[in-house]
Amino acid sequence: MFKNYLKIAWRNLRKNKGYSIINIGGLALGMAVALIIGFWMYDELTRDSYFKNKDKIAQVYQSQAFNGRIDTGPAIPLPLEPALRDGYADNFKHIMMASWTQDSYIKYKENSISRPGNYMQPVAPELLNLEILKGEKDGLREINSIMISKSTADALFGKEDPIGKILKISNQYDLNVTAVYQDIPFNNTFNSTDYIIPWDNYVANREWIKNSLDHWDNNSFQMFVQLAENADMESVSETIRNVKKDLNEDTAEFNPQLFLLPMEDWYLRNNFEDGKQVGGRIKYVWLFGIIGAFVLLLACINFMNLSTARSEKRAKEVGVRKSIGSQKGQLIYQFLSESFLVVLFAFVVAIAIVLLSLDGFNELASKEITFPWGIGMFWLISVGFIIFTALLAGSYPALYLSSFKPVDVLKGTFKTGKYASLPRKILVVIQFTVSVAFIIGTVIVMQQINYAKNRPIGYDRNGLIQIPTWSADFQGKTDIMREQFIKSGAVTAMATSSSPTTRVWSNRSGFTWEGKPDGFQEDFAWTEVSPEYASTLNLKVVQGRDFSRDMASDSLGILINRTAVKYMGLENPVGTVIRDSDKENLTPSMKILGVVEDIISQSPYEPVKQAWYVYDRNNNFSYYNLRLNPGQSAKQNLAIVERVFKENFPAIPFEYDFVDDEYAAKFAAEQRIGTLSGIFTALAILISCLGLFGLTSFVAEQRTKEIGVRKVLGATIFNVWNMLSKDFLKLITISCFIAIPIAYYVMNGWLQEYPYRVILKWWIFALAVFGAMGVTVLTVSFQAIKAAKANPVKSLRTE
Amino acid sequence: MHYETNKKIHMLLQLNNIFKWVQSGGQRVFLLKDINLSVEEGEFISIMGPSGSGKSTLLNVIGMLDGFNEGEYNFMDEPVHTLKEKHRANLYKQYIGFVFQAYHLIDELTVKENLEMPLLYNKTSSSERKALVADSLDRFNIVGKKDLFPSQLSGGQQQLVGIARALITSPKLILADEPTGNLNSKQGEEIMELFKQLNNDGVTIIQVTHSEKNAAYGSRIINLLDGRRI
Repeated sequence: MFKNYLKIAWRNLRKNKGYSIINIGGLALGMAVALIIGFWMYDELTRDSYFKNKDKIAQVYQSQAFNGRIDTGPAIPLPLEPALRDGYADNFKHIMMASWTQDSYIKYKENSISRPGNYMQPVAPELLNLEILKGEKDGLREINSIMISKSTADALFGKEDPIGKILKISNQYDLNVTAVYQDIPFNNTFNSTDYIIPWDNYVANREWIKNSLDHWDNNSFQMFVQLAENADMESVSETIRNVKKDLNEDTAEFNPQLFLLPMEDWYLRNNFEDGKQVGGRIKYVWLFGIIGAFVLLLACINFMNLSTARSEKRAKEVGVRKSIGSQKGQLIYQFLSESFLVVLFAFVVAIAIVLLSLDGFNELASKEITFPWGIGMFWLISVGFIIFTALLAGSYPALYLSSFKPVDVLKGTFKTGKYASLPRKILVVIQFTVSVAFIIGTVIVMQQINYAKNRPIGYDRNGLIQIPTWSADFQGKTDIMREQFIKSGAVTAMATSSSPTTRVWSNRSGFTWEGKPDGFQEDFAWTEVSPEYASTLNLKVVQGRDFSRDMASDSLGILINRTAVKYMGLENPVGTVIRDSDKENLTPSMKILGVVEDIISQSPYEPVKQAWYVYDRNNNFSYYNLRLNPGQSAKQNLAIVERVFKENFPAIPFEYDFVDDEYAAKFAAEQRIGTLSGIFTALAILISCLGLFGLTSFVAEQRTKEIGVRKVLGATIFNVWNMLSKDFLKLITISCFIAIPIAYYVMNGWLQEYPYRVILKWWIFALAVFGAMGVTVLTVSFQAIKAAKANPVKSLRTE
Repeated sequence: MHYETNKKIHMLLQLNNIFKWVQSGGQRVFLLKDINLSVEEGEFISIMGPSGSGKSTLLNVIGMLDGFNEGEYNFMDEPVHTLKEKHRANLYKQYIGFVFQAYHLIDELTVKENLEMPLLYNKTSSSERKALVADSLDRFNIVGKKDLFPSQLSGGQQQLVGIARALITSPKLILADEPTGNLNSKQGEEIMELFKQLNNDGVTIIQVTHSEKNAAYGSRIINLLDGRRI
């Protein structure tokens, strides 16, 4: 029996090729989208699954209030470590201090590479369950040891055995390789940690860290913990909440609150607002999940619509089968097996589409998703997915078709009633509601990105490059390098800075100035720069003057940005003296020399933060900023810069970034969402149009006789086209009325997250409406005109 | 099909005071009015009457494809009017075969597969199905056409397949709704001869027809007018 059903289904598919292609193609497309989004969601949701103790690992976070604004972040002070180890040891299996992940030059003999890594306490290999390939697991005991990832070992040593070899870090100190560990896979935190050096080494080699050991106010470090077996994340988090506040009076005014952020939240739920966790990427995971479900729904709707539209053709078969003795249940079963066959087909096609597009998708989404061929769970879910889709798409046609009464159908007088097409119309309305909403959403996302991109950033980022200088070799050579670069003709100006132009690495407080309000809790973005900074960046000095090398006193000068003037409440900023509020007499006071334009160095969606650019008198720099000669091509300039660089630092790899690329990277996340939602919107529209196309052709076929009669009575092609298109346009209009408020509500909510945001304009909605209408008219017209042009004699003769 | 030769009379079906109506503009329009009819096994009955007189409706009621509003209907001593849908389907599946004016073969199935279909619904075993289909093809002399699709056959041939399909489950009763209506006179005559022969073999036949000539093949004629026997 089942064979008989499949045979009929197969022959039906072959007989109506156009219908089959639309049906299977549309469904396959929908499934491919759902599959890819499913893979992506799975990838997002299973991040950090490399770590065996994922549910027990957490990072210590801190919230502090500055002038009523609560900032939350992972930076904590050093005295917290002994405090937790002494008073709260029962709660933790491991406590691990760690530095931020930073790039360092690693040198073995003549081979030098730059890799990111961390300083961590010796428990790291166990906490991160590193897989040791060579050497000892307990390899961080000695202060001069280093563990490296396999990829780093391969790059440095090739076939040589790395264990026991001496590496030079940042051309400063020698470390002994004690272990090689398997690289942590892509989809995990610490994936970029290519080396681990003992924490004690970090402390021992840096004066400022040694000085911070008893300073609760220097929040510059990270702390990871693994809970004790029986400890509960939430209650431990609650236990340590006031540790800092209770132990240190000086910082109590900022109301420091400590808590644990569990590993499963690191990636997906790490946004905080007013000290409260407000989600994060998880929002996009669900958003795309919803998009995937909708696209699949659209494809299923096509299937339902086309199946029921074809019902008149199948009606006779239903009648015959019933009169021969088929029961309703058997017919339902038959039509469901047909739907199952189609879905199975579509699934195979969908897999092909996924395989073809996975690489491109990975690139767009910056993922490393592979097709899960060998994973039983995937196939299990797929079978479920196929059955679910077959039921979803096939149930309505099955119930509808199987309910025909044989007497009506076989008498030949059968016509689907006036209301038979109502469900079909509702489904079309749903399809276009989704499509129109998608269009609006995508346009708004794109607009927001462009809006932020076009925001004035305060300096000229084109032709500006930055070269990292994280090695002792660079000390004392700044002036020589500037001279040589400029002499080479490739560079017109050079300045050093302690953070990259597109970021703020340091924030400071603890200053006082005349007129500072009582109780004002100041907080400034802090960058130490060489005197040429403003001129190299083409950063405009709007008040006062720039640094000058000719004035010795300028070494105690600072420039502040426009926002800082307002923030500090200064009427005449130039000349204002700034003192260190703690040790008033120990450090020399500084003087404001000038005010510069605000530059966007943090989020392009946020207001610019109050910033100080401080004369770098301690050689505290991390970057060379070079203004390339605009008279030559960038390629020429770079070749010359590299040559000059290599002449002076032969042992250090030449690395650079274009500042405009770095700036563009700030938009990566939004850009990705924009691109992906653009693609999915296009697919959604395509699928909806496929369905509409199929539907129109059936409607035209159904009304062939009517069209023939009308033409005989004098209707023009335009009349017929108008008649056929009007019905569909009505449906699209209804869709627009439903879609616009929904899209407005959702997108308005999305935009609220960005303080610097585009204003929603009516024309976006009009654009979406006209877009949907245009596409509909095009789709419908193709069939409508064909039907209208047909010779009426032919259609009337068949009666 | 083997029937006892000593014609012992068996009642096949009985309609008592059957009424069927539809509601139209607050008024009852009668499709069947007080129909009484007894059919014995082995009869060949022709139902005649002008268009709209209720011929087809009566046939559909007898075939259990359509219900009625009032009256009693006994088929082989089973009270049809009290039976559940499923039971009723089992009854006609087993004992009744339909032949339609427009043949109503399934276009997507070949001749052989069309013949096989009632057996599938009958849950006949695979080997028996093959045997029955082969017998039937043989009997109606359409072996050469078994792999063709309906659209590749002439009208007469299609109707032949339609009859073969109706007979394949060895029903006691064949209901034919203008079986020659779409055929030319020569093909029509052949089909009527076939019915005659089937009837001689013992199959009960009820046909609806417009043609006096076709009606003459039957043993009894029932005339309808406005849903009433005359």
